[in-house]
Amino acid sequence: MSDSESVKARMIGPHGLLVRYGFVILIAAFFVFFSLYTSSFLNSENLMNIVEGSAILLILALAMTLIVTMGGIDLSVGIALDFGAAFAIVAMKDYGVAWYFAVLIALVGGSLIGLLNAFLVVKLSVSPFMATLGTFFIGSSVQRIFTNGGGPISFRRVDQSYRDLAVGDVYGIPSEVIIAAVVLLLYFIVLERSIIGKRMHAIGLQQSAAAIAGIKVKHYLFFGFIVASATCAIGGVIGSANLRMFTPLAGYSYLLDAIAAVFIGAAIHPLGRPNVPGTLIGVLFLGMVANGLNLMGLDFNTKDALSGIILVLTLALAVMQKRLR
Amino acid sequence: MAVAPAAIFLLLLVYLGVTAPNLLELSTLSLILQQSIPTAIVCMGLASVVMAGGDDVVSGGIDLSIPATAVLAAAIIADQLVNHGSGLAVALMLGMGAALLMGVLNAVLVVTIGMTPLLATLASSVAAVGITKVVTSSRRINVDHPLIVFLRDAQFHGISVAVLLTAMLALIFYVALHRTRWGMHLQAVGGSRDAAEVSGISPKRLMAHSFLIAAVAGALASVFLLARGSGSTPGSEENLLLEMVLATFLGAAFSPRRVVTLWGAVLGAVLVSLLSVGFKSIGVDVFWTGCIKGALILLVVASAAYSNKQRR
Amino acid sequence: MESDVLLEMQGITKTFPGVKALDSASLRVSRGEIHGLVGENGAGKSTIIKVLAGVYQRDSGSVRINGKQPEPLTPASVHDAGVRFIHQELHLVPHFTVAESVFMGQELAGAFGLKRRLMRERAETFLKEALQANIPGNALIRDLGVAERKLVQIARALVDGKASLVVFDEPTAPLDSGESEQVFTAIRQLKSRGISMIYVSHYLAEITALCDSVTVFRNGSTVSVLEQVEANSTDTIIQAMVGRDIDALYPEKSHAVGGAFFSVGGLTDGQRLQPLDLTINRGEIMGVAGLIGSGREEFIDTLYGVRAAHAGSISLAGNVVNIRSPSEAVAAGIVLVPRDRRHDGLVLDMAVSDNINLATLEAVSVAGLEHRRKATERADDIAATLDIRPRNVNAVARYFSGGNQQKVVLARWLITQSRLFILDEPTVGVDIGAKVEIYQLVENLVAEGASVLVSSSDPGELLGLCDRIAVMYRGALVDVLEHDELSMDNLISMTTAGIPRAAEA
Repeated sequence: MSDSESVKARMIGPHGLLVRYGFVILIAAFFVFFSLYTSSFLNSENLMNIVEGSAILLILALAMTLIVTMGGIDLSVGIALDFGAAFAIVAMKDYGVAWYFAVLIALVGGSLIGLLNAFLVVKLSVSPFMATLGTFFIGSSVQRIFTNGGGPISFRRVDQSYRDLAVGDVYGIPSEVIIAAVVLLLYFIVLERSIIGKRMHAIGLQQSAAAIAGIKVKHYLFFGFIVASATCAIGGVIGSANLRMFTPLAGYSYLLDAIAAVFIGAAIHPLGRPNVPGTLIGVLFLGMVANGLNLMGLDFNTKDALSGIILVLTLALAVMQKRLR
Repeated sequence: MAVAPAAIFLLLLVYLGVTAPNLLELSTLSLILQQSIPTAIVCMGLASVVMAGGDDVVSGGIDLSIPATAVLAAAIIADQLVNHGSGLAVALMLGMGAALLMGVLNAVLVVTIGMTPLLATLASSVAAVGITKVVTSSRRINVDHPLIVFLRDAQFHGISVAVLLTAMLALIFYVALHRTRWGMHLQAVGGSRDAAEVSGISPKRLMAHSFLIAAVAGALASVFLLARGSGSTPGSEENLLLEMVLATFLGAAFSPRRVVTLWGAVLGAVLVSLLSVGFKSIGVDVFWTGCIKGALILLVVASAAYSNKQRR
Repeated sequence: MESDVLLEMQGITKTFPGVKALDSASLRVSRGEIHGLVGENGAGKSTIIKVLAGVYQRDSGSVRINGKQPEPLTPASVHDAGVRFIHQELHLVPHFTVAESVFMGQELAGAFGLKRRLMRERAETFLKEALQANIPGNALIRDLGVAERKLVQIARALVDGKASLVVFDEPTAPLDSGESEQVFTAIRQLKSRGISMIYVSHYLAEITALCDSVTVFRNGSTVSVLEQVEANSTDTIIQAMVGRDIDALYPEKSHAVGGAFFSVGGLTDGQRLQPLDLTINRGEIMGVAGLIGSGREEFIDTLYGVRAAHAGSISLAGNVVNIRSPSEAVAAGIVLVPRDRRHDGLVLDMAVSDNINLATLEAVSVAGLEHRRKATERADDIAATLDIRPRNVNAVARYFSGGNQQKVVLARWLITQSRLFILDEPTVGVDIGAKVEIYQLVENLVAEGASVLVSSSDPGELLGLCDRIAVMYRGALVDVLEHDELSMDNLISMTTAGIPRAAEA
């Protein structure tokens, strides 16, 4: 895609540079700061830690990218992750299901959340925000009911193969990184290179025009929500494999970071659109900040507060950058 | 169809009234009102924002950060009173000042920077929750300051003083929002930004006002949160958020014009509290109550979407 | 010093990057008159109105209102000078009452808050006395008809009693003739109260009926001023607007019409649209005429699956096709160029090539992946054929002119092997040059054997283009005008009165 001439014209000059590279400058600033301030930040092992620690967030952020591309938002990504984890752990623990079936069952569990969203948005015309907020509340309650208030369900004797989905490695590359990379590649191909993705972008930009052009809008929205939730369930599989337990409501902590990553990605896109490479950059940025704050030896609560504040500022900068175009 | 949620709500209430006969006794009703106070006050704030921003949840006005703001202010006040031995005036000033800063932050993010209210207030609420954790170290703080105890227990001719204060507050909000030029301007902006602009009203200024007012509501709610819980409880913002959104949009179904109004929001808050207390008294698990409220939200918005479709 | 001239705009020039929107244009309005302002789209009417409103700053020229030169010209200073604007958009809040809407931004309030009763009474009185309309002050806007909403909008601009000049921008565009009459009554009543008006409209019949004098714009300049307007001034005005003969707009009808190809039987949406039968032949251009509210839009939307059909059948080349959504229509070979191009026709922020290929992405893909070079080449080919300018299919569609945007929508469907083309208001907001090209394209389509259905509010366009014209009135198809019955008189009398031609004779 090429920029229109007027856009190009405004990209020149110091102000234009700031607009275009504001985010790169911010990333660099944080990188330099952490490198100088903590001794353990800048080494290959820690950088790999950042990548590895970002795997689950990346998977959720990709799901979010799909929904935002189609003009919606999904507040229930965390719930779909939880359901994926719960379905897999319970299937293996209580029903003795083989680990690979458990993964399939996790995808089904996540899809249920997507199905509810799809039904509300496509069949009942509820706005995606409200629909997924409702799903979020119901999904949270269901988890509390199921676990009697939120206690984890642990399964210590989980199959080693399942466990390896999180802690294993292939030629030294952690398997969760490989899984995330595969999901990333698939999303990139579908959203950025395929005609399905082109149609999804059209729907997100102008739904009525897409419909008039013969695109099956409802069809795409319906399956979009289901695919997004199933993707989140993969995150649930990795999380539960890592801890060998299902932790209720664990997915919530990824929600805002996933949204932020998508908006950061959109901000650095020439036309301000959500996009897969941008989302990856957003995720790595957030992962780097989380990792850096950790290494600074801050206590848990302070870290939470700081990352919340950084999130607000980052989003503000991202939106500002988008507006200035 | 627009009245469907109201109808289902009334049916639920009738069911509760039959199965839990003591629900409609005076003492229970008074408890229900008292329980509803923090929700009612944050609803007043949300009503202001929705009235100024329009009731389209995505592009219009919404402030998801009011509950987090209230909990943050409550935490600061409790921390000051208990852990730092500050006087009441200092504690209130710090708590409410922090709440107002949240309002300024939201206003800047939405009006100056141009973020959608949804994203801006979601993000700022995460920041507020984070700061609350630092203030309280994620621990509960018990408060037995005379003012808090007074707000919890005091009665005036058999009616809770806190309820009376809240009623007065609602009246002030009502007059401001529905009976002044400023209030009409606010509603005009929410009804149609273009219409307001051609009428010489500045949408940006009024939207900024609405976020500040929401923050004031959050600040005031904090004191009553402390009174209701006899102290500050981190993590209480999630339920408050659920109840606030449900009550405010449920209230729209009760209003004659089917839009968010101040009285609708307050009435919604009382009904939601009635529901919570009612379910509790017939022995429904508290987690199920959350599930039912979530389903009710969906019902309210689905029927609103349906009647919008019909009108076209 | 009271002079005869209320508004004097002289030598107004306004340049936008790359475009000279106004070139030394002038506009002069006398006290107490209704002054018409006409011109094709893009002639500069709305630009000069925006200069007067203080929205655009002029590059040069002078503006005198009531003998004074408000400087700088800002929305506030123009308002203070007594100039009011009735925009095309209503700008009303659906859930506000009439009184609240009239006093929006100028509420009456005292020490005890809003004076709601006083505002209601004043609103009702003003509507009755100044606009001759009986509308209850506590009615909600969303319960009013479109004409009544327009009157509320006018009342809002004038209720303070300080207006001396009112600018109406296409006030009757969304109204049918009965509703328009309501607005005309109000405008005449205002004139009798000594208020001057500028009346911008495309409907020349309205201009000649209502206005005392007329200014005609073309290409950003004032080309003609008629001091005296009579019923037969229309031709003179058209000549001035177009600057060439109108008959030259339409191509020669040289195509041959074949046998029956497409037919609908008993089609209805169960609401506004009465059960409707219509047959279109191979290689035929069928017109659909009808006022706003005649069911024309509902017919098109139901045909294309945008509205749900309640009953009825559609068949194409003898086969019954089931159309419940636009995608099924497209699959059946029925395509639509929608009336709202910017909303429904184009994805404005996508590239022109994407917009062209949007309905046929399979053709430019390999194994589901987009083949970008193929996509660009294909778009480029058709863009060259249709002379879409600027010739850069990678540019975003939003920045193209109306005519070129319309050609992009047409291009999308031309590369499909579609058999029935539905064109809904194909030339609204399209400049004359592109109009001619679009008409020629339609002619070429039928010459190649496709069928075309043209729905239009412009009777001249229908008569110039179509082989037959179906006339709709109050939700029903009243008759089909055959080739030898096509005349302006027939068409106008049937669309406005709904009389089938047999009853007329």
